[in-house]
Amino acid sequence: MPDPAASPPAAGVIHDLGYRGYDGPRLGRAQIVRALTWHSFRSSFGIGRGVKGKIIPVLAVVAMCLPAFVNAFAVARGNARLFGYDVYVPSLRVAVVTIFLAAQAPELVSRDLRNHVLPLYFCRPLRRGDYPLAKYLALTAALLLLIEIPLLILYVGTIASAKSGGAVWDQTKALIPGLGVGLMWAVLMAAIGLVLASLTGRRAYSTGIVAISCVLTFILALLLIQSEGGTTATSTGARIAGLFSPFTIMDGVRVWLGGDPNVGLVADPGRYGPLYGLLAVVLLAACLGGLAARYRKVSQS
Amino acid sequence: MPSTDPHAVIETRVLTKVYPGGVTALDGLTVDFAPGVTGLVGANGAGKSTLIKILLGLIRPTKGQAKVLGLQTGEKVRSLLGYMPEHDCLPADVTATEFVTHLGRISGLPPTVAKERAAESLRHVGLHEERYRLIGTYSTGMKQRVKLAQALVGAPRLLLLDEPTNGLDPAGRTAMLELIARIGAEFGISIVVASHLLGEIERICDHLVAIDGGRLLRADTITSFTQVSQVLAVEVEEGQDRLQAELAARGLAATTQARTLLVPLGGDDTYDVVRDCVAALSLPLCRLEQRRHQVEELFRDEEEGVANA
Repeated sequence: MPDPAASPPAAGVIHDLGYRGYDGPRLGRAQIVRALTWHSFRSSFGIGRGVKGKIIPVLAVVAMCLPAFVNAFAVARGNARLFGYDVYVPSLRVAVVTIFLAAQAPELVSRDLRNHVLPLYFCRPLRRGDYPLAKYLALTAALLLLIEIPLLILYVGTIASAKSGGAVWDQTKALIPGLGVGLMWAVLMAAIGLVLASLTGRRAYSTGIVAISCVLTFILALLLIQSEGGTTATSTGARIAGLFSPFTIMDGVRVWLGGDPNVGLVADPGRYGPLYGLLAVVLLAACLGGLAARYRKVSQS
Repeated sequence: MPSTDPHAVIETRVLTKVYPGGVTALDGLTVDFAPGVTGLVGANGAGKSTLIKILLGLIRPTKGQAKVLGLQTGEKVRSLLGYMPEHDCLPADVTATEFVTHLGRISGLPPTVAKERAAESLRHVGLHEERYRLIGTYSTGMKQRVKLAQALVGAPRLLLLDEPTNGLDPAGRTAMLELIARIGAEFGISIVVASHLLGEIERICDHLVAIDGGRLLRADTITSFTQVSQVLAVEVEEGQDRLQAELAARGLAATTQARTLLVPLGGDDTYDVVRDCVAALSLPLCRLEQRRHQVEELFRDEEEGVANA
């Protein structure tokens, strides 16, 4: 009997092409995690999805960048920079990040839960924690882009009209802490968004959970700050009122680390600053721990 | 520990899984799976899916151990396995090509290889131009094929298929079984097919492993199953009792089944003995045929035996 592998393939009959195995190199675990991260990052901007999946990410990016373009225009006409790098336009940023998170965190995790795709991931050479890790890295990167790109536009728009090298250096010095604040937002909000979204595979519910959690806590914190005399008050109540929502916690950390207390969302935390820092770290750890625990359970079912 | 077969693709040793809440899914299962196509049969809840999940390293056994392709279960062995789950596991809003390519990447294939192999796997399971359509627009049969393609994409050495004909119509079942048989025969991949439908599995398997209540009922080759089950059905128009007595006198223990005598088929001389008996008694013979027990009946007998014991 002739060896089937040695016989020439029948020309023109595509169905009869034999099966070929693969003995080439295989990616290691780190590269597989990277592939999953890249795939998830793309889908968090709706790339590889239909037109419907791109609407919210695109609108979010446009809305976030708009003030930066307005600034470039204003600076070109001789005005000073319109907003700080570290706070940007706080209410807009809170709103856009909330909407982006509520729409895209479920895209990354609820979808796979809903479609029961997870067994197909966990039967491959991934470890249990690799899936949530990749999703977290992807969403953090997506948020980072959403938050930092407007800051870079703000920076470029401002230095484009700078008259001296010293002015450029001043802008650069102001930009760096702004990028740091953006990183903090991305790192913390991605964790919060994912752990909430992974609670259920029903997309509408997980969007609702994320949105309501962000909005309600934020309104609660704002009301408390208002009732304690606003962001310029110095009472203990006003100083700790910002501890009740992630956005105000992050703004408290910003002021504690030397940011301008006269702009932003919260009253100067004063000696309660470390409490804001501690709470931010605890919140992050709790969310990441919760996410890991969630997928440890899921992978067994 | 019993001696191990060096060629076995799967070896389990007193494998036990007790789920939290006290449900025992596997109860000291010790069995070897030979290369080729093996049917893993048992009723729903017999422990088939639990066994597969342990082999994939998705759940840990409570006791005992399992080796796959000579390796301990875990992430290393997972890159050599392809798994087709029992239930729906496909997203509706991506194309089959994109989805299978992505899973090829997660199996550890470099980007271009993943693309090529995804296209090939989909072609092998019989999806051609349809592979650029969204999976949500597929029929159940096509979705089952995508599930099989994603199991193939990573170039596995062993496929674990959990109820691959689930939800298919008779024609779809036949097509899926033929596809599995072809993969086993032509692709050189060992396959474990879990099913509760013995009659179906029987057609494509080299070996059978039957489990019930998490215990091993029997593991053997298909031929040995069918050999022991061969009988000769003899039907006479009258004098069935006399024929049975005559056969007993000549050393053949025939059993009656309605109007038929079932004679265990020892060899060619069994035919001669039956012929001689019928001739000696001058009975009107109207049927003499070799009959093969369906494997299903065999298990039914064994299960009854277990239940009665």
